[in-house]
Amino acid sequence: MKLLIVEDQAKTGQYLRQGLTEAGFNTELVADGISGQQLALSGEYALLILDVMLPGRNGWQILQAVRSAGLETPVLFLTAKDAVDDRVHGLELGADDYLVKPFAFSELLARVRSLLRRGSAIAQETSLQLADLRLDLIRRRVERSGQRIDLTAKEFALLEMLLRRQGEVLPKSLIASQVWDMNFDSDTNVIEVAIRRLRLKIDDDFPNKLIHTVRGMGYVLEERAL
Amino acid sequence: MRHLSLSTRLALLFAACTAVVSLFAGVLFDRASEAHFIELDQQQLEAKLIGLRRALQDLQPAQREARLADELSRQADLSLRITSGDGQHWYDSSVQIPKSLPPQTGLSTISHDGTDYRVLRAPLYPDTADSPQLTLLLDITHHQHFLARMQHLIWLTVGLSALATALLGAWAARSGLRPLRRISAVARGISAQSLNARLPEEKMPPELAEMAHSFNAMLARLDDSFQRLSAFSADIAHELRTPLSNLLTHTQVTLTRPRALEDYREALHSNLEELQWMAQLVNDMLYLAKADHGLLMPKREPLELADEADMLLEFFAPLAEDARVNLSREGAARIEGDRGMLRRALSNLLDNALRFTPAEGDVRLSIVEQPQAVRVCVENSGEGISAQVLPRLFDRFYRADPARQEGSSEHAGLGLAITQSIVRAHGGTIRCESGAGFTRFVIELPRT
Repeated sequence: MKLLIVEDQAKTGQYLRQGLTEAGFNTELVADGISGQQLALSGEYALLILDVMLPGRNGWQILQAVRSAGLETPVLFLTAKDAVDDRVHGLELGADDYLVKPFAFSELLARVRSLLRRGSAIAQETSLQLADLRLDLIRRRVERSGQRIDLTAKEFALLEMLLRRQGEVLPKSLIASQVWDMNFDSDTNVIEVAIRRLRLKIDDDFPNKLIHTVRGMGYVLEERAL
Repeated sequence: MRHLSLSTRLALLFAACTAVVSLFAGVLFDRASEAHFIELDQQQLEAKLIGLRRALQDLQPAQREARLADELSRQADLSLRITSGDGQHWYDSSVQIPKSLPPQTGLSTISHDGTDYRVLRAPLYPDTADSPQLTLLLDITHHQHFLARMQHLIWLTVGLSALATALLGAWAARSGLRPLRRISAVARGISAQSLNARLPEEKMPPELAEMAHSFNAMLARLDDSFQRLSAFSADIAHELRTPLSNLLTHTQVTLTRPRALEDYREALHSNLEELQWMAQLVNDMLYLAKADHGLLMPKREPLELADEADMLLEFFAPLAEDARVNLSREGAARIEGDRGMLRRALSNLLDNALRFTPAEGDVRLSIVEQPQAVRVCVENSGEGISAQVLPRLFDRFYRADPARQEGSSEHAGLGLAITQSIVRAHGGTIRCESGAGFTRFVIELPRT
């Protein structure tokens, strides 16, 4: 998976590349709009991350060039501007997602993964599993070590999301958006409480914990060595 | 005309009015005196006519000429012509009489060789059909001179009075407009540092009192906004100072000597928390700034408020259960608005309510449809908010609980300000009521 970052602020660009590379992506970084557009038009990238304000050609112009060349590459915009018009403009031109600076890297990573997943066909799974935790999507039942666990509808949805994206750090804002459809920054600690209650049912009675807190970033479901 | 000063305009208007009035009076006087002269002349000529008829009646033709000369010699300005019934000149008393005279009988006025005459023509024997005609001419040049002088005088009066009223008008206008100059002097003196200047409303004439009042009200609003803005900037600096100084201190201390890997990780985690708090603060402030600039443009999508409320209640359910607070909704209404924004607004209120409700308490969200508006209340049980605090609740960075300090605590105190901005962007109002054992936020959103 090759990603292209077009970002003129050197520090931001480098950190983004480092972060995405360490997350397992093959990442290329350019700092100006003109070479950014040339590379984007080559069509060998799975995702474009574009800053709006760029020397040479701005992010929107690059997006337009990409779309008029018939490329369907998903595009994620980064911008310091938070005007509604900008957002609308970007989405009209065919941007797939939009992040306003300052944003958290975990948020960016989660969105990059969502965008990359969007293209691939979702497998028709009937159940999801991690270690001895098993989630039956058809009967909507959860078992751990063969023991039945009762979950509320939202707890089930939360666990399903964690299982589908196991190994990924999921920021609280993404969880709020995906599970409860609450698409705004909120400083409420609802997600912490919800995770704690889920843990109580899933993890507390078992020695190997599956839900982990990544401090300051979010939550991840994975099996860790004891 | 657009660029003439108000005083000049008023002066010109005054002058024009005076000119019209004095011209009218002058013309009227001129006409009246002319009519009066004509009447006098007619009386004089008719008296003469009667005298002449009587004088000529009984005389032989030979005696007539002498008698006529005698009659006319007494009046130098009068001359006479007698013509036969068929128009032949029989007698002219003076050689200066013009050849042709008006043929009709009665009074007329003619001008000949620089002399003006009033002419009266009448038959010598009124009872005879083919009577000779008598034409009497009265020299009225001096009357006409008088009238001409009079007319000059009228024009002079018109001109002078117009000029005088223009000057007086200009003076009156200038002194009448003095309050306006006072307003402009006050306006000139206003800057960001002196927004507290006000016009003396009671000293203003009634016509300007309302304007002075509006002007003062505008100044008061500007002053208030400016104060809030300055306070806001000061608050931002204040809010950011604590996390920034934490970051600085912690980073410097960490770097002063080599440490274990775990210590570095801990330091970075701690910094991350401060940074996230700051990022949230900046995002919230940008959101509010956007609202202040009128850039918060809510979508108008049809919303079932009860469904939205239930979604929010479901979202907050874990928190409520954890705090052992009973969370409920009653009522329903349809409304047009922005789903995301309204969810955010209500979520701030619910979050707030849950935080201040004691265990086993209630948080109730009620929706009431009214004729003009839809009322959404978020009410929680628990200790009320004191009346002094209520008006400040929606101020940015205001925290009702002084125990919670700025920085690093979870909440920056912008939630209610954001809720207010969202409600206002929807054309609605929000207020807070509080009494013994309850606190209620009331949102009223216009229908349609």
